[in-house]
Amino acid sequence: MSDFDPSRRRLLGLGLAGLGALGAGPLLSACASSAGTGSTPTGGGITLQSNLTGAAKSGLEKLVADFNKLGKGTATLNTVATEIYRTQLPTYLSSANPPDLYTWYSGSVANAYSRKNLLLDVSDVWQGLGEYTPAMRNVSTDETGKQIFVPMNNYWWGFFYRKSNFAKWGVQPPKTWAEFLTLCQTLKSKGIPPIGIGLGDTPWVASAWFDYLNIRVNGAPFHRELLAGKQRFDDPKVKAVFAKWSEALPYFDPKGKAYPFQEATTALLAGKTGMFLIGTFLADATAKDVVEDLDFFQFPIIDPAVPVAEEAPTDGLFASAKTANPAATKALLTYAASVEAQEAYVANSSGIILPAHPKAKASDMPLVAKGKAMLAGAAELTQFFNRDSSDALQPTADTALTRFIDKPDQIDAILAEWQKNAEKVFKG
Amino acid sequence: MMSRLRTGGYHAAMTMVSLLWLGPIIWVVVLSTRTFDDIAANGVGSLPHSFTLDTYRQAWTDGGQLQALINSLLVTVPAVLLSLGLGAMGAFALSRYRIPGRRTILLLMLAGNLLPPQIVLIPVSKFSELTGLYDTLWALIAVQVGFGLGFYTFVLHGFMRDLPNEIQEAATIDGAGVGQIFTRVILPLTRPALAALGALSFTWIFNDLLWAITVVRTEATMPVTPALLGLQGQFVSSWSVIAAGTVIAAVPTVAVFLAFQRHFISGLAIGAVK
Repeated sequence: MSDFDPSRRRLLGLGLAGLGALGAGPLLSACASSAGTGSTPTGGGITLQSNLTGAAKSGLEKLVADFNKLGKGTATLNTVATEIYRTQLPTYLSSANPPDLYTWYSGSVANAYSRKNLLLDVSDVWQGLGEYTPAMRNVSTDETGKQIFVPMNNYWWGFFYRKSNFAKWGVQPPKTWAEFLTLCQTLKSKGIPPIGIGLGDTPWVASAWFDYLNIRVNGAPFHRELLAGKQRFDDPKVKAVFAKWSEALPYFDPKGKAYPFQEATTALLAGKTGMFLIGTFLADATAKDVVEDLDFFQFPIIDPAVPVAEEAPTDGLFASAKTANPAATKALLTYAASVEAQEAYVANSSGIILPAHPKAKASDMPLVAKGKAMLAGAAELTQFFNRDSSDALQPTADTALTRFIDKPDQIDAILAEWQKNAEKVFKG
Repeated sequence: MMSRLRTGGYHAAMTMVSLLWLGPIIWVVVLSTRTFDDIAANGVGSLPHSFTLDTYRQAWTDGGQLQALINSLLVTVPAVLLSLGLGAMGAFALSRYRIPGRRTILLLMLAGNLLPPQIVLIPVSKFSELTGLYDTLWALIAVQVGFGLGFYTFVLHGFMRDLPNEIQEAATIDGAGVGQIFTRVILPLTRPALAALGALSFTWIFNDLLWAITVVRTEATMPVTPALLGLQGQFVSSWSVIAAGTVIAAVPTVAVFLAFQRHFISGLAIGAVK
């Protein structure tokens, strides 16, 4: 995932974030369990708490409506703005009478809630999901080995560009790092800032660069260990990542530090930058008649000896351990994991996403087929910096990476500080 | 000649200041009439290349603004009336009678105001759960009244304290009881302050987001501020729809301000001429 956005969070006040963090604390969950019942009616009905707004919401509305027709329970969809949802999710989960189901992220984010015993064990739902890939099962399993998550969809990251612009400039998408640097050089000589980026308000976008360089240089296992606190950020292997980044740094759009990702997309579409390492949600910020002109290439290979890994953030559902109606909750999860439900979901939400079920058909756009093939061909999948670590570790990356982009020569000091900040997070 | 020049300069400067003031508002209104494709192609800062009012329809229906506005008014109107009513009573007692410990009470109320609301978010959320009010508009009304009361009492206290004692004495001689003095003498005299505070508190409560999302979690009960936030997408936001939603959400507060404008200004001026 990648919608971590400290500046919007600031809007809600520091304390709100504090509330989120504290609300999940053991002290308060204990306090909450002794609290009286809330106002949400129980008995038969289940509530699906969702952060999906806009077009994605209609996909979920369809899912809920179809499920209700099955007669296995009555679900109600309750949508809350993403920025509120992010801070309030721990409170929802630890309240005395929590909603039953939640849209959120797999992997270490779900695992962190599972560690606090807030999530429902859905291992029996997974017994019917034999067709799912081991990678999907992995990100849905917590550290004790039980499944706690049901994936709905994922998407990919890549260098997006406009086909018409690449044709106009007479350039080809690169495959290797050397070709990539040559491409940057060519674009720069034509007076176009080669690499677009949008870090104002959305500094997490820089983490895509770190993630990809790290999994290309050091491989996905090292990346995961690093993000889990088992490796150090001041390790020479991490410094090697930034050495590669330094080679591309002169080609970054100098204006990219000022504007947020959505404005950076506008710049890319207007031909003011050459390409942009971003997730497929960039298509949501693109005018409909321009989407056809979008294409992407895979993050170039740096070391052919390293197994190719790709970033594929996975979205889906998990359930509260305190649900009053586990049967209906699991029935909805089972339905949501089916081919039929996921095809309907993907077709009804706009945007470029891939259904999680390997047999479910995605949109028939060539771009989508290409993305799907890229993920299928990857030896390993990672998700995104904060999804593979935690929302708490993300700000340490934002600080380190934006500082690096400003002052690449201070890399030793930056990495030492990153390690110090990360240790504070891991100590909790 | 000189004075004419001065007047001209004054008007020119004031026009500039007004434009500076109005600029962001005009920008939002213009933004709200642009299409998504226009903004995606030209950016939020560019001059408009399109005109549409469909953004208002989208904000109204997709954003669920009708229900949200009703919820907001259901919270704001009772909360304003209750907090001002209770605040006026408290201020009346504290300012016109020798209540033991009145200074401490007032300081305590003021101290409560200095407390950043963020640190009591968790207690408020858990307490509303304990009382069974969590996720209802009652909880929101209670919280708004509770947190506003200290400040309103403090302001009204300052105002009522300065009313001449002779009026109250005259009323007492005429045989008015405490209740009558409050409703027939003090309250009418406090009207400018009440009107000014009413307009202010209406804006504050109507525009509040923090308490709303702390005690409410269901879409159908959310007031208009979280509904506006809901117009933001997970990654990508349609700024023109958000701008349209903002314009719609601003209408009630602007209406209240226009309606109370006269009182508001006289309320401010009362302190000035003394």
